[in-house]
Amino acid sequence: MNDRQVYKAPMFPLWAIIAAIGIVFAIATYPYYGAAYVTSLLGKFLCFAIFALSIDLIWGFTGILSLGQGVYFGIGAYFTALSLKINYAAVNPTRYGGTIPDFMEWNGLTEIPGFMEPLISLPFAVAAGLFFATLLAFIFGVITFKRHIYGVYCAVITLAESLILQEAIIEYQAYTGGFNGITDYGTHADINVLWLILVVTIIFFAIGRLLTHSRMGTILKSIRDNDTRAEFMGYNVANYRIFVFCISSFMAATAGAMYAAWNGIISFLDAGPVFSIEGVIWTAVGGRGTVIGPFIGAFLVKGAEFFLSGKLAWTWQLIMGGLFIFVVLYMRDGIVGTIGKWWSARRKHVPVSELIEEADALAADRQKDYRPGQSKGPTEI
Amino acid sequence: MEAIITQFLNGFSVVAILMIAAVGLAIIFGVAGVINMAHGEFIMVGAYTAAVVGQLGGNTFIAIPVAFFVVGLMGLIVERGIIQWIYERPLETLLATWGVGIILQVVMKLIFGPELYYVGAPKVLDGGFRVIGLLPFPWYRLFLIILAIALMVITYLLLFKTDLGLKVRAVRRNRSMSGCLGVDTAKVDMVIFAFGSGLAGVAGAALAPIKSVSTTMGFPYAVDSFMVLVLGGVGSLWGVVAGSALIGEAETILSFIYNNVIGKLLVFIFIVLAIRVFPKGLFGYHERS
Repeated sequence: MNDRQVYKAPMFPLWAIIAAIGIVFAIATYPYYGAAYVTSLLGKFLCFAIFALSIDLIWGFTGILSLGQGVYFGIGAYFTALSLKINYAAVNPTRYGGTIPDFMEWNGLTEIPGFMEPLISLPFAVAAGLFFATLLAFIFGVITFKRHIYGVYCAVITLAESLILQEAIIEYQAYTGGFNGITDYGTHADINVLWLILVVTIIFFAIGRLLTHSRMGTILKSIRDNDTRAEFMGYNVANYRIFVFCISSFMAATAGAMYAAWNGIISFLDAGPVFSIEGVIWTAVGGRGTVIGPFIGAFLVKGAEFFLSGKLAWTWQLIMGGLFIFVVLYMRDGIVGTIGKWWSARRKHVPVSELIEEADALAADRQKDYRPGQSKGPTEI
Repeated sequence: MEAIITQFLNGFSVVAILMIAAVGLAIIFGVAGVINMAHGEFIMVGAYTAAVVGQLGGNTFIAIPVAFFVVGLMGLIVERGIIQWIYERPLETLLATWGVGIILQVVMKLIFGPELYYVGAPKVLDGGFRVIGLLPFPWYRLFLIILAIALMVITYLLLFKTDLGLKVRAVRRNRSMSGCLGVDTAKVDMVIFAFGSGLAGVAGAALAPIKSVSTTMGFPYAVDSFMVLVLGGVGSLWGVVAGSALIGEAETILSFIYNNVIGKLLVFIFIVLAIRVFPKGLFGYHERS
């Protein structure tokens, strides 16, 4: 084994940097020469990509499947949209002459409720949205992960969480716009916002790479693959899980805040379970456990949806359902993972997984006389 | 106070609905270890089956066994086609079954169209009876309570008094050991998945008369069932009973005092705090591994 070399990719490979610069340049200058419709899609997709990245960090790298990531996206989005709406309504009176958001007027409010007044300041509103989302994730993490509740339970509880948030938004329509969502708060889809979104995307993807391609990332992956072993090695598994969960919810909330500004319309669907699970499938299609996978998955799946669903909505839903099954059954590594495996096999670099398999086989040989428990086969990566 | 008592009695029927909806999911999760995200859609298909039976002139009593077989068969197909390959990866089963759910919704919408269907309760169960001084209590809700109890008893008998049940319990306790002793564990999984799906069909047929039948009707029931499992604990019928009772009553009474959403929110917080204290649920089974 010693005559072979384990290949460890550099933190930011040169080809990736060059490709990233090219893509970033193309997106940043697109509004100057491209169609306005595609530009508006680009901004949205970038937000979705960050959202998918936030799911990838907890699911692909740490093994916590959250089906309620939309909660954090929704919190960020609603704080921002409310602030924008309040400011917009103050200078653009509604049809009945009011200077408060129209949905408040319809529900019999005559002025902005006291607890919403701080939201008049947009920076404060955004900061509050990010803070509350992260705080909620922290509380949730402390309650569940500290008690070794994860896996299927965690998925189900987060799913219920997002369903409840969705119902609460619909119920308290005087404050949230209810079923109609928050609409008509001015246009913020200009090129500066696109650049902001782009910069934030770059920063988050760099953070994701730094987090996962370091010692920290190794620990996270070990928690994903075998949390009991990780715990035996002395790592505080619960704290790592909480930390990643908070980072991820912060990212999701940021994506939501930018999405609200860019898209100009927010509804309860953006906080609901369906959106959350869609994010999971973007990640799965792109390639979980890779930083670039969510980006590609979000662009491909969402892009396909925008160009296909116009024709016949139900075919798209059918494709979506089939995609869930297909990815789980046949393409576990997603697009990026599959390509990456093929590539590393071609380059004849021995992947770490193979080395582990060999080491496992050796260890099994040595233990032939005494092997407690059932054999689980080689360690899975 | 009288209003609260009325709500408490109404809560019984909510509890019964939760039990009916959750028992199928509980069995599948308890034995095979997978959460069936398409459970709500299985319930929905059961309800549509009841609608079809109703249009052919049958009533709920006929629809329930028909739905059991239709949805059970569907569960069998889903298990053989998809789930049997991914038992080892429970998180991914969630995604695959979610996909199954989406496809079922689309297919049912294509077959039956987007409009709502209404299924009448059987003539025998029309009307209600009056508990002295309180609001009338519909017969159909009493029927649901009886059905819930009957389903629990049938499931209990199946699990504890039959040969199959013995194998099921053995597989649940120690899968590899029962495999060594000659139990066909894959077959047990298959049968249990089909049976649990069949129970979802029964739930759909029984719930059709109290809810308009649409393709999206199932999801809330599925989430409620998940919560029952989380609170009550996996792998115990008492868990289903206790989870349904606590959630159903608490939600009914809290919703009456405050409103629907606050009731749900409070119950959710209660559940999260409860599993903080009992991570395996109230009647959870501690695995010996």
